[in-house]
Amino acid sequence: MAEEVKQVRKPPDPNSAKYKLGQIAAKAYTDVIEAKARGEKIGWVSSNFPVEIPETLGIPVCYPENQAAAIAARGGGERLCQEAEGDGYSNDICAYARISLAYAKLGSAPEQDMPLPDFVLCCSNICDCMIKWYENLSRELNIPLIMLDIPFNPDYEVSDAEVAYVKGQFLAAIRQMEELTGKKWTEEKFQEVMKNSCRTSRAWLEATSCAKYTPSPFNGFDLLNHMAVMVTARGKAEAADAMETLLKEYQENHETGKSTFRGEEKYRIMFEGIACWPWLRVTSTGLKSRGINMVTTIYADAFGFIYDDFDGMIRAYCKVPNAINLELARDKRVKLCKANSVEGLLVHVNRSCKLWSGFMNEMSRQIGAECDIPVVSFDGDQADPRNFSEAQYDTRVQGLMEIMEARKGGEGA
Amino acid sequence: MNTQELFETFRDAAAHPKKQLDAYLAAGEKVVLTAPVYVPEEIIHAMGLVPMGAWGADLPLARSKEYFPAFICSIMQSILELGIRGEYDGASAIVIPSLCDSLKCLGENWKYAVPTIPFIPMTYPQNRWGEVGTAFTKAGYERVIADLEKATGAKFDEEKLTASIRVYNRHNDAMRRLAAALPRHPEVTARQRSDLFKSAFFMKKETHTALVEELLGQWGEGSQAGEKVPVMTTGILCDSPALLDIFDELGLRIVADDVAAESRQYRTDTPDGLAPLDALSEKFARMGLCSVLYHPKKERLEYIAKTAKEKGAKGVIVVLTKFCDPEEFDYPLLKKACSATGLPVALVEVDRQMEDFEQARTLLEAFKVMLV
Amino acid sequence: MITLGIDIGSTTSKCVLLEDGNRIAATALVSAGIGTGGAEEAYRRVLTAAGVDEGAVARKMATGYGRKRWPAADGELSELTAHALGCHYLLPGVRTVIDIGGQDAKVISLDGQGRMSGFVMNDKCAAGTGRFLEVMAGILKVEVGELAAMAARARAPAPVSSTCTVFAESEVISQLANGAAREDVVAGICRSVAARVGALARRAGVREPVCMSGGVAANDGVRRALEEVLGVPVTTFPQAQLAGALGAALWAWQTAEHKEMT
Repeated sequence: MAEEVKQVRKPPDPNSAKYKLGQIAAKAYTDVIEAKARGEKIGWVSSNFPVEIPETLGIPVCYPENQAAAIAARGGGERLCQEAEGDGYSNDICAYARISLAYAKLGSAPEQDMPLPDFVLCCSNICDCMIKWYENLSRELNIPLIMLDIPFNPDYEVSDAEVAYVKGQFLAAIRQMEELTGKKWTEEKFQEVMKNSCRTSRAWLEATSCAKYTPSPFNGFDLLNHMAVMVTARGKAEAADAMETLLKEYQENHETGKSTFRGEEKYRIMFEGIACWPWLRVTSTGLKSRGINMVTTIYADAFGFIYDDFDGMIRAYCKVPNAINLELARDKRVKLCKANSVEGLLVHVNRSCKLWSGFMNEMSRQIGAECDIPVVSFDGDQADPRNFSEAQYDTRVQGLMEIMEARKGGEGA
Repeated sequence: MNTQELFETFRDAAAHPKKQLDAYLAAGEKVVLTAPVYVPEEIIHAMGLVPMGAWGADLPLARSKEYFPAFICSIMQSILELGIRGEYDGASAIVIPSLCDSLKCLGENWKYAVPTIPFIPMTYPQNRWGEVGTAFTKAGYERVIADLEKATGAKFDEEKLTASIRVYNRHNDAMRRLAAALPRHPEVTARQRSDLFKSAFFMKKETHTALVEELLGQWGEGSQAGEKVPVMTTGILCDSPALLDIFDELGLRIVADDVAAESRQYRTDTPDGLAPLDALSEKFARMGLCSVLYHPKKERLEYIAKTAKEKGAKGVIVVLTKFCDPEEFDYPLLKKACSATGLPVALVEVDRQMEDFEQARTLLEAFKVMLV
Repeated sequence: MITLGIDIGSTTSKCVLLEDGNRIAATALVSAGIGTGGAEEAYRRVLTAAGVDEGAVARKMATGYGRKRWPAADGELSELTAHALGCHYLLPGVRTVIDIGGQDAKVISLDGQGRMSGFVMNDKCAAGTGRFLEVMAGILKVEVGELAAMAARARAPAPVSSTCTVFAESEVISQLANGAAREDVVAGICRSVAARVGALARRAGVREPVCMSGGVAANDGVRRALEEVLGVPVTTFPQAQLAGALGAALWAWQTAEHKEMT
């Protein structure tokens, strides 16, 4: 979601996926800043809100979660978290929310600016915490809140009752937004957005599935960066182009024996959880220096929004990672582990995310047993740097590596 | 029973849920556990089953940590702990609603941690108004009914639900009248007050209603004099005896509450004039004023400030369950809303593993000085 | 062939000199850890004790949190593998190792061949670690070493249930203020550590035989409380605190080239 700060090397190739994706991610902010300057109404939107709605209506929106990740990756997480804590927010609550609520009050942050919203769009398919966060934004900024409730599904399949509930709200949300902005929903535009979204998603799924090759043609940390585009722009034609370029590059890498993972890929793991943005370099180096490639994450599956019609779209949004039960969540991960020859699972126990961490112990036990791989967890946080210990991370990753090595029948086994 | 005996009965039920459970089981009844915060108990009641609240208990956590990380609230942790330890053995099922992220995790963990007691999810809509919202609530209730039938063999009947709704509306009314009468009775200690509410989760509603009505009858319109400082409490739970004793020792009197396990349960009745399951869904649509129920304007904040003023509370005490997201998000705004009307707010962080309330005592002592 | 293992922890440095991968030639334990001269001191002492000079040591392996900052090492391994190896040597066939060190508690699972198959460690909070016991001993104004004997004299262990060191500290203080016997408070503290670590052990899965390593293993109060919590015997050995360094020395031998020629 946030670009890791890298040393300046040769100028990037404008035809590369990396360049194209970077441009789209940056444009996500500039477009909204320009729209705001023109006097258009702009919104803040939660990341799993159906991007098809604002995209079809042509409403400029930006994403507080991406902003919080960017702020955290650039070192501002602690400052903004403390700002929110100064206002009475407990340091137990989600660090993205603390950063965002602090930003809403301050109106600017040197790490990543974003115009203040005229309305907020919330979707609860990520967590209930999101509802509380957006309620507070709406109240503190005194702006309308449009809430699309997609409940956590305790069952394996999406029920017709859930589809009907979500569909009813979808239609109401579209009407509300039309009234709010004066813009109109057209079927033609929706068809186009749907086509783009499916094209982007398909390319993403195929690109991420290139990890099935050994060695993998990419470093899994790439996915964390490219995700920003999947979140914000998957309904745009440029995003589909960029993702198809990415897929082509990964396939070429495989054919020519190249990879964006530098060094020899000795071990292949799945990483579970949101990235530790404030410690991205440390967490990435801890793996890379040991020849461990994080070949897959649930994000590889999460953005597979492929559907044929309105109801299909609704079902897809009912199946995002945090809205599904343990069994479905487990099976999706087991599939990724098996398809990508994963040898170990590294779990980020994320202090910020109660829902993601709350049944992870049991789920990861089951994944470990089903795939016959070691499971190791570490404590961290998606955006509050104070909830991570470098020494702890390092020891656990080394422990994981040593188990994987012993299982290969390596030294000392 | 005289007043003293009534209070002893409430205390006994509040303090010994396991005894209640065993007594129901011994009498051949089937018990269904109801997790926080709102479960359609009327349905369970209508099916001839006994609903019993499962809000955890004050105890050290060991087994729950095999499933939950440390930063999940102690209510969820202790419910799971009790389940694993076998304290709920004999119950036919547990209904866990979807109203916060930790509750969702409780349900998922429960399936594997306590496989002997079936988990029945109650998935509520947060956009609960209008046709779309109530239809989904109703679908949730129908699912609970189907699961209960499977788990207990009991059968659902609409007419029985109509009767049960009447039982619950009457209980709501008794509890509201009780809350309204309590400010006139400063002789009731904070612990006794808590017993009145807590016992309701473990007793049959008919029995509890009768006891509460008996107490109200004995009280009449009269009132007792007292010098304690009136305050309002808000939070999920406020039932720790050690904390409540501090209220009494410091001379703080709870004249109103916005506690989820207390008054929040009884604000909304099921309306007449609809088919019973529709009426029950409509009841949920009309609910609000709670940290786990979505409201675009967060009306509960003004409601708390207004209620405190109306009941003559001089300050609001937020009894915050540590790691409770919904309450932690509301706290800064609640403080603002109260301050805007000149109401002082004190924050007491609690969890169900706390043995030592000295910090809370110091804080409340200082708060009281501010209020008088 | 002589190999050496050094375990540089948060509060202590441990060193073991091993002959041919099967005989402990000398050991040293210095009460000074990371960021002190403790590691050098332990290294020097072990050489002196065995009467060998530096050049005679074929291979040196470091473990512990300070493992990366000891320049003399030929390599390093995590304390997880080190404790697994060390305990497997001391108690062949061991399946579960519970190691409570200064800053963390870990539960290591071993397979039938003595290889580490998984591990679980405590979260960032210090409750349930050696550091927790030190803080508590500090409040009670006793030495950490005295805690076990005191716990054994307890009549009714006082409840200490907080999950956090800071809260537990105030709990202990108010227990004392309320007149609880110091022995009972100490027993309560040991139980609190055992409860925390017991939960970790169950998360990892407890397979017998179970042994305890690390500095806290010497505290019989905690060990007994762990037996109670887990309902299985928990053994330990006099060299428990040296298990990590021993494991490192074993690793040094196993990874040495041409070891079969020695």
